[in-house]
Amino acid sequence: MARSTPTRTGPVLLRYASLYWHFLLQRFKVLLEYRVNFIVGAASTIATQAASLLAIWVVMRQVPSLNGWRYDEVLLVYGMITVALGINHMFADNLWTVGRVYIRTGGFDRFLVRPINPLFHLLADRFCQDGIGNFLVGLALIIKASLALQLDWTPLKLLYLLIAVLSGGAIFIGLNLLTCVSCFWIMDSVPVTRLAFEMHEFAKYPLSMYHQSIGVVLTWLVPFGFASFYPASYLLGRDVGILAWLSPLVATVLLVIAYRVWLWGLRHYSGSGS
Amino acid sequence: MTLALRRRARVYGAIAAMVPKTFLAYTIWVWMNWFTQIVALIIFVFFWRAVYANTNAINGLTLGQTLTYVLLARLLSPLVENTNTISFFGSLLRDGQLSMELLRPLDFQAGAYAQRIANLLMDLALQLPIALVAIVFFRLRVTLDPLVWLSFVVTALLGFSTLFFFDWIIGCLAFYITEIWGLSVLRYGVSNLFSGLLLPLVLLPDGFRQVAEALPFAQALYLPVSILSGITPLSDVPRLWLQQVVWLVSLLVLSRFAFSRAVRKVTVQGG
Repeated sequence: MARSTPTRTGPVLLRYASLYWHFLLQRFKVLLEYRVNFIVGAASTIATQAASLLAIWVVMRQVPSLNGWRYDEVLLVYGMITVALGINHMFADNLWTVGRVYIRTGGFDRFLVRPINPLFHLLADRFCQDGIGNFLVGLALIIKASLALQLDWTPLKLLYLLIAVLSGGAIFIGLNLLTCVSCFWIMDSVPVTRLAFEMHEFAKYPLSMYHQSIGVVLTWLVPFGFASFYPASYLLGRDVGILAWLSPLVATVLLVIAYRVWLWGLRHYSGSGS
Repeated sequence: MTLALRRRARVYGAIAAMVPKTFLAYTIWVWMNWFTQIVALIIFVFFWRAVYANTNAINGLTLGQTLTYVLLARLLSPLVENTNTISFFGSLLRDGQLSMELLRPLDFQAGAYAQRIANLLMDLALQLPIALVAIVFFRLRVTLDPLVWLSFVVTALLGFSTLFFFDWIIGCLAFYITEIWGLSVLRYGVSNLFSGLLLPLVLLPDGFRQVAEALPFAQALYLPVSILSGITPLSDVPRLWLQQVVWLVSLLVLSRFAFSRAVRKVTVQGG
């Protein structure tokens, strides 16, 4: 399927970047047509996040720390995973809906006859505006936490933060891609994806709060720890050893594995008959 | 001959294979729901243990009391999480079902209420495995006093009905704004905090507690769960019931009024 066999990767990347831009423009035209939905979508994610954040605030203003983590330190962890979640939500939300919207209706076949990578086509087909809310909430939390903790943002540390949240987004996308492959067999992959996705809830808080086994799962099995806890620990000057530096590596390995599995699933795709 | 036969076998085989596939799809949903709830339970338990690491009581609640409350609130979350009433209106207008519903020789609201009660009982039954997990792994212990249970059931029913009428009023807004999804998400977010799903409301600071008391969400979850977990003593129950009945009657009247007004505005989108 992904057999465009690039002779030189440069021009191919450039072509895909410009294609993505065209898809995005089309999508924004649709969004502008339904402005209220656009605002409601972004606001709804903010409202849901606000409820959990208020609950944390209410509780933590009455105790000095959560297992040694101060309120603003917890917010940094929470903010980093939420930015990563927002990135995934904006750019890869179609990994959730591929079964229901594309495979069951037969719309997926359209991707297979076009001269571009079907996965790229699937992702570019819909920029999800609801994710903007998550992204902004996460960003606000990181800024709020840095101000309160008086974090010293050197350019290198900013670069570290940028790579960490991008890796976090990639970890979300990798896990969703890996699990969405099940849609080639069971049509609707949402429940399967949700199983892995739900684990990110753990990573909203410092992993040291939980039983050790949960930390191991969140590090090596569904590696959301690399999207929040480990990089946040490093930024806060807490020693987590080599784990502070592994986020990009973990994200890359996960994406490569997920893409391989996706290609394998694609070979087993036989259409829904509709 | 054999080729045609084999072809048929393949075609009908594929059709038959759809049955287990569909069945599997629904079962997976149930399992997924259980899994996400267990994840939430685990996070809650560890979160509260960490909160109580350096203190014995917060606003008079011990770790044991808070955990009992929080676990029960999670298990009984169908009492407030059921936003079907709102989306029900959205779909009625979208596919034009409303005109059919109104022609039936029975009370439209009463019919919907009966369905929501059945929904609730089914959702609660599905929570039983989670309750088992909470009892076995998180040592959830609940009183066996029949009087407490009776008070709990009555309070829960009163509160659930109140919330049904509240959602009904919000649903009526669909007649005016046609797109109801955003409102139902907002309702979900606000009720998460103010129903007492995330924490016992006695922990809220004063201002928030007043907001919680002015909204109907606590009626359906916080009141019954705080009775069952022993945070609210039985002696308070008669006063609470009185208050709940006032809530219930006012929202019942208001919801009937709202619907009779809204239905004049009806513009069905298709069907």
